[in-house]
Amino acid sequence: MTAIARSSRGHRVKGISHYAALIFIGVLALFPMYFMAVSGLRNGIQLQTHPFSLSFAKPFGTFYSQAWSYLEGDFLRTGLIIASSVAGILIFGMSSAYAFARMEFLAKGFLFYAIFGLLLIPSFLTLIPLFIEVKDMNLLGNPLSLILPYIAGGQAFAIFVFRSSIRDIPEELFEAARVDGASHLRMLLRIVAPLSRPIMIAVALLNISAFWGDYVFPALVLNPISPTIAMAIGNFTPPPSVPTTNLVNLEFAAYTIVSIPMIILFVIFLRYFISGMASGAVKM
Amino acid sequence: MNRRYLSRSLKAWAFLVPTLVSIGIFCYWPAARALEGAFTTWDGVSAPTFVGLKNFDQLLHDTIFRGAFAHLFWWSIIGIPTGIGASLLVALLIYRLRSTRAQYWFRVAFTLTLCLPGLVGILTWGVFLESGGVIDSILGDLGLKGLETAWLADPHTAMGALIFMGFPWVGAFYMLVFYAGLQAIPLDTLDAAAVDGASSLRRVWHVELPLVKGQFKVILVLSIIGITQNLLPPLLLTQGGPENATWTPVLYMYENAFEYAQMGYALAIAFVLFLVSLVLAVAALRFLRTDKDTRKTVA
Repeated sequence: MTAIARSSRGHRVKGISHYAALIFIGVLALFPMYFMAVSGLRNGIQLQTHPFSLSFAKPFGTFYSQAWSYLEGDFLRTGLIIASSVAGILIFGMSSAYAFARMEFLAKGFLFYAIFGLLLIPSFLTLIPLFIEVKDMNLLGNPLSLILPYIAGGQAFAIFVFRSSIRDIPEELFEAARVDGASHLRMLLRIVAPLSRPIMIAVALLNISAFWGDYVFPALVLNPISPTIAMAIGNFTPPPSVPTTNLVNLEFAAYTIVSIPMIILFVIFLRYFISGMASGAVKM
Repeated sequence: MNRRYLSRSLKAWAFLVPTLVSIGIFCYWPAARALEGAFTTWDGVSAPTFVGLKNFDQLLHDTIFRGAFAHLFWWSIIGIPTGIGASLLVALLIYRLRSTRAQYWFRVAFTLTLCLPGLVGILTWGVFLESGGVIDSILGDLGLKGLETAWLADPHTAMGALIFMGFPWVGAFYMLVFYAGLQAIPLDTLDAAAVDGASSLRRVWHVELPLVKGQFKVILVLSIIGITQNLLPPLLLTQGGPENATWTPVLYMYENAFEYAQMGYALAIAFVLFLVSLVLAVAALRFLRTDKDTRKTVA
């Protein structure tokens, strides 16, 4: 970057207009999040009369605590379902990606297309038969009815991304291990897995955020009595003690609570989020 | 084929077994049943009966189905360009900022929108669009009180309201992909353009856009696939109503399967929708064929 031509007045004006445009669009894009979080702190009448003011309901945060007691039990269940699904995707995906990146074998081309062909099959096409299959397996209401399809469905993309990241690992590392007589499994565990940590985190985050908000399939296969967090939100039935005027506020508080784990993950893993999102697509 | 190659292959297949078994059972098997089921009458409980093209014949005369495709058409025509355009615009604006620090923080701000689960975003917009909701109060503040209405409950506005949802339509994922593509532009290309005295708009058109053509292609295909399976907004907010104004093919499929237990008919809808999205995606790829691709296929 050369500083000479850039300090002219025209450039500075253009720079400011870029900032202004970005801030304007950014405020609009983030407005729903802000409005949701704030409205959860206000009551129905305050929201109706002055939608954008900052007067809060008393006691402070009452709708948040009510919503939390409604959602509390579903957090752990959803977390466990997602953790097992993501673990399966990462382990199976890594193992397959290793084979595609580092090994030569019979029918490699065919199997490669068999797996990546999956990216062309839209989820709506398999939704109905998958539901019936899970029902025929007597898995309805069982968390496995969600975990197993999640693991299967998340793999094509994971393998795609992992394969290219394994190929970027310098050959000398494998060469040294081979001299020591290391097997493929050992190389996968000792060389590939540790070096792939960032890309694994990125893939995990993408899947977690997709599963966290997934509603349609869980609502079909799980029992509404033990729902995932998205189901609980989608079928929100408030206790009768809540007056209907405040219903929206309670809902907004619940929506905010559901978004908080994603925000926390996002803040912790910001780097991976931003680089990981783009990495797969750029290599396409 | 020698024995050593075979034993090596066996070893590699062992690495692939979990993947192949799981996608076989939970992806390929249901997909095959979906294609087969489109030609049957099936309630999902007893065995399906083969009926040939009957479902498709029925679809031809189904006015709701035809309306659903018309809605999808408008949704795509308006939604895809605005979604891609807004994301590209934001990516370009961020890329043009001189401070890399500012670039980073703007990317963070826009990525933050991803933290909102899709379901929550839709439900929140549902509240915004209610009568006397946020949209109506903004219109009131702008002196457009006459326009206020219950956007999702009025058959004239419901579909438009669904399309408008998510304004300003910046897809954080698309934005990051475009940004990564712009980052990959070699600096000397930009310097050459600067030396030539290319104006800002010309630089966008002749230098930057051609270089993110690859990303554009991927995103266009993802958008086509994404919009055809966009079930949640009408499912959560309108269920096809009011007065059949908001049916989309995928919602009609869903309701046929899980409300009316017409699995065969639902799968016929899925079949048609799948073919249409596939043809459109392939057409988009063909249409945007880049020189890079031709080189790649040769090599």
